Amino acid sequence: MSAFATVFRKELLDNLRDRRTLLSSFSIALLGPLFFVGLMAFMLDTAIGESSEPVSIDVIGAEHAPNLIGYLHTSNVDTNSIDLEDPALAVRSGEHSVILVIPNDYGADLASGEVAQLRIVHDSSAFGSARRGYRAAQSAINAYSRSIGLRRLMVRGVDVNVIDPIDVTSIDTASPGARALTVLATLPYLLLFVVFMGGFYLAIDSTAGERERGSLEPLLTQPVDRGPLVLGKIGASATFALMSLLLFLIAFTLSLPMVPLEKLGVALTMTATKAGSIVVLCLPLLVMAAALLVVVASFAKSYKEAQTYLSIVILIPTLPAIVISFLDIEPGLPIMMIPSVSQALLVSDIISGDPIANSHVAVSMLATTVAAAALCYLATVLYKREAILG
Amino acid sequence: MIRADGLSKNFGAVVAAENVSFSAEDGKVTALLGPNGAGKSTTLRMLCGVLAPSRGDAQIDGISVASDGTAARRQIGALPHNAGLYDRLTARENIAYFGALHGLSKAELGARIDQLAQQLEMAEIIDRRVQGFSQGQKVKTAIARALVHDPKNVLLDEPTNGLDVMATRAVRDIVLQLKAEGRTVLFSSHVMQEVTNLCDHIVIISGGQVRFDGSPEALRQATGMDSLEESFVQISEAATGVAS
Repeated sequence: MSAFATVFRKELLDNLRDRRTLLSSFSIALLGPLFFVGLMAFMLDTAIGESSEPVSIDVIGAEHAPNLIGYLHTSNVDTNSIDLEDPALAVRSGEHSVILVIPNDYGADLASGEVAQLRIVHDSSAFGSARRGYRAAQSAINAYSRSIGLRRLMVRGVDVNVIDPIDVTSIDTASPGARALTVLATLPYLLLFVVFMGGFYLAIDSTAGERERGSLEPLLTQPVDRGPLVLGKIGASATFALMSLLLFLIAFTLSLPMVPLEKLGVALTMTATKAGSIVVLCLPLLVMAAALLVVVASFAKSYKEAQTYLSIVILIPTLPAIVISFLDIEPGLPIMMIPSVSQALLVSDIISGDPIANSHVAVSMLATTVAAAALCYLATVLYKREAILG
Repeated sequence: MIRADGLSKNFGAVVAAENVSFSAEDGKVTALLGPNGAGKSTTLRMLCGVLAPSRGDAQIDGISVASDGTAARRQIGALPHNAGLYDRLTARENIAYFGALHGLSKAELGARIDQLAQQLEMAEIIDRRVQGFSQGQKVKTAIARALVHDPKNVLLDEPTNGLDVMATRAVRDIVLQLKAEGRTVLFSSHVMQEVTNLCDHIVIISGGQVRFDGSPEALRQATGMDSLEESFVQISEAATGVAS
């Protein structure tokens, strides 16, 4: 067996037995998709609920305003009649979320043409149904008030347009689920992170960890070139990154059907073909990530120091990808030459089923392979220095 | 057979070893003595080819370390200072890892490790994970790992460091066994009493230079002292200019 294969096998065996390495390498890969899918499902749910589901508010003194209550019902606001001394306290304590208070003299005021008073007690820091209830009640009452006002003007023979010097119509083109779909845009960065985290601990354990344990010097006295030794370590780290990526894709594929995407009319599916394409596309990135981690960890004097360095290093590949998503740069050939950014863009296209140019894939894989080879070479050079013994 | 020929090593302005020359013969135990920081480990590292000498060369069974390091290292079984093991692997897996790096086949390895386990009296722990081993069990495992490819030359850098009496005696027995098998044993130490009964040849290093090279008997005669320890102290202090 070659030295490369010997080191590769030993590092895999050694690290597969380490619960800490396994936990940190693969927990993100497994939990990431669940969190992601859960977030998406939640956002979709709220988005869809906002547009169609009726909201419900509590009303004190509903008997004073039967017409208003009827109007609220036709506006999709359910009412629930209650009797309370202190509505503000009830809302503050969280017992009720939105309370409409109708005073005794509401009907009399309205009939005599006075300004009738209503109060809505709510908590503006609340989320979800409380906020929707407040908004829906507020706008329904405004509309009701306005309709009464218009009728009064008409009765007096005044053109109703007098009070409408400006008419604004806003057209919202966003579909209810568009916000939920923006979550999808973060998926490629999560994927990059998963790849780097996969190789993270093995890279530290087999370099800085090996030195700290004092097993590096005996290893280097073996009659083996240092090149295959380092490459074996990089290979093992890349294999952990691959396992992490596979776990991530499996978890994502299995959990995606839980998102009610069909309610949006969005056809987003994860197939074995897509997953396979992502794996192939990311192969050079796996090696590059492993080599980068090993190179940086080789500078560290101890396990802890390596952890500190690498925590910063794994941010680097995700940062340009995030910046580019903000700048909204068209994915062209030059961008495809940047490792990690190109994978983020292409993975996003693969998942959403958009067509991707073969030239883009080729440039991405070639450029990342070159970067990976350069880092592997750098790692072997570093291991030939005497300072590697620390 | 190990020969050091004018080995020198500078780390920047610090001279760790200067013109170190000696030879360790087959079937003999050679002790490399010196106070802490004298340059013992640096010298052994140069002999193993882990450090490249600034000047000079070393030969292992006539093979130059400088020009053919890999071939020279094949002839050496080395136990570096505070050598660490892989805690999550068993003793057997630790030993097999280095054996495989030496190019031994699986069948050869199995037989060789069984033989070493017998010889070093570690058959009971051979398939246990290293995590939880006593210091003595760890040193035995590390020595077995260094001997897995049946090297003619054995380098041990302070092998008894941190061991209790029983474990120290076990290491001493191993050294005598290796000598009886006709191997060249070179070990470093700063503890005199473990050297007294064991070595045929003493090299004293202090301040990076060889201060004495000869038999224990010659050392006593040269210093006019009865005990080796007194001789060692005298030579070391003379070298570093400490008044006694």
